[in-house]
Amino acid sequence: MSGCRRMTVCLWTAALLLVCGTAWAQNQTNPTTSAQAVPAPAMNVPLDVKAAQPPSAEDLAKGDPSGTRTGTVNDVVASDPSKGLTLADTVNQAGQNRIAINFVWTLITGFLVMFMQAGFALVETGLGRAKNANHTMMMNFMVYGFGLFAYWVCGFAFQMGGGGPYSTLGGATSLTSEHTLSFLGKTWGVFGTHGFFLTQGGSYDVAVMVLFLFQMVFMDTALTIVTGAAAERWKYVAFAISSLFMGALTYPLFANWAWGGGWLSQLGANFGLGHGYVDFAGSGVVHAVGGITALALSMLLGPRIGKYNRDGSPNAMPGHDIVLVLAGCFILAFGWFGFNPGSTLAASGNGALRIGSIAVNTMLAGCTGSFGAILYMWIRYGKPDASMSGNGLLAGLVAITAPSGFVNTIGAAIIGLVAGALVCLSVEFVERVLKIDDPVGAISVHGTNGIWGVISVGLFADGTANYGGSWNGVSGSVRGLFYGDPGQLVAQLIGVGTLLGFVFGLSYGANWLIDVIVGQRVSAEDELAGLDIPEMGALGYPDFVLKPETVPSGGSPAVTATVIPSYMSAD
Amino acid sequence: MKVVGFLLVLIGWLAPVATLTVTQSMTVRLVLAVIGISISLVGILGVLNKAHLKHAIWKS
Repeated sequence: MSGCRRMTVCLWTAALLLVCGTAWAQNQTNPTTSAQAVPAPAMNVPLDVKAAQPPSAEDLAKGDPSGTRTGTVNDVVASDPSKGLTLADTVNQAGQNRIAINFVWTLITGFLVMFMQAGFALVETGLGRAKNANHTMMMNFMVYGFGLFAYWVCGFAFQMGGGGPYSTLGGATSLTSEHTLSFLGKTWGVFGTHGFFLTQGGSYDVAVMVLFLFQMVFMDTALTIVTGAAAERWKYVAFAISSLFMGALTYPLFANWAWGGGWLSQLGANFGLGHGYVDFAGSGVVHAVGGITALALSMLLGPRIGKYNRDGSPNAMPGHDIVLVLAGCFILAFGWFGFNPGSTLAASGNGALRIGSIAVNTMLAGCTGSFGAILYMWIRYGKPDASMSGNGLLAGLVAITAPSGFVNTIGAAIIGLVAGALVCLSVEFVERVLKIDDPVGAISVHGTNGIWGVISVGLFADGTANYGGSWNGVSGSVRGLFYGDPGQLVAQLIGVGTLLGFVFGLSYGANWLIDVIVGQRVSAEDELAGLDIPEMGALGYPDFVLKPETVPSGGSPAVTATVIPSYMSAD
Repeated sequence: MKVVGFLLVLIGWLAPVATLTVTQSMTVRLVLAVIGISISLVGILGVLNKAHLKHAIWKS
């Protein structure tokens, strides 16, 4: 073989080796190349169940004290028993398990929040006088019914009709009808239009039912807050009408704007303000709405007779049962474990395992809230005041409600501590400077600290929470000013402005109208006698003769009123 | 005076919202939001409440 020919053979051999080597290397680095040619397993082919080694009937008959033989492949339901269990069955079961976990979580936490009604009833009744116990209790009892009815008729539809779909609950895809306005070149969600009577618009749906129950108990919390501020002088019929209106319109509208896909939640997407107005569990939506409505109503009602002297100085009107007050506070603190952690609407997927952090944040803020209040009262007045300590606990819980899903424990503790001191300052300011009578401190606990909670999100949200990779349609985690996003604070302040402007305005206007039509306040005679007999027809404590009450009137002859049941009258 | 107070409450809410498209500056938006809240609070606590206190029950 000549040299030239030899070279040619070598070159061709080298080229052949190069091509084969390259092909071999590619096959090694792209192993899926060959795998892609393998078809995916069929979803409807029966699986070899025996390979999962299910327990035998004989084993099961012996009992299962350790639990290791309970919950196996035998418990996965086959859609067609004649074919046997398929991959499609197991995949569907996994999806249903996830949604079922989330359903159960949301429902049980909703039940806890419902029980908070009892807590509010005890706190308010305990902070009031005995002669009004029946009336105060009945307001807290029936607000559940009035609110639920109004919410079922139209409130839920206005609030959540356009807020869906809800992936954690398996859809609720019928709740995607939102009435919008075009303004300033943007689309502004105003209210939902699906879900009236939980029937219209495809809302007769299992996911919608779960969502309704959970949202309803939150709405009722807002309504019951108002009864505390208006206690001891509010006509029962006016309370009923006012509660129906608030459950039908005031609460649902603001809640739609915050939680139902409305314009407040879209401030991030529309104007680059963080993630829009963020309120994890309702410092603003529930507590500030209740507290600000309480402010409007208290201004319209005026103070109780004897609360202020002619020179404007206030008189203390202590409650009749501190035991009820503190027991009620504990019930509320217990219920708050449903309020905040339950607001994930999930215990599986979408960052829902943060429920432990949320619960701990809630506990901590309540704890430091009570510290803030007890320290303030102890230093200022020399005694650890029981009712303010209870209000401090509640203030901390109110304040942590909005940021609970976004802050760490240090932030939660600080938020609570500030809330505890803030509630004391606010109570003094409302009573002494504004001269507004609030028998239970509802304006300060829920209004002032609800607003503090809303602002706290814009300060302390630390950017570590991840609820499905986005919030209010803006990707990423919620961060406050201290963690690098001043836009979030601006969105929160717009929310505060809306609470003050819209919620106060609508509440004031509606209650003014109710005052014109039916009258809000009872007569002076009924108020002095106590509302139990004139308004409710029965005493809260019929076995007790209540002590005569002398009402100081700053120079004028004191007014004395004694409550005597009709069956004990002398004549 | 009650009407004036009510109007201040509404202006304090709507003005910062309406100016969101006027500026992109976060500092300006922050300042406007705070001013709006202050106007609403003056309307509620300073004007409306004072109007109610003029005829307070403890003054009669």
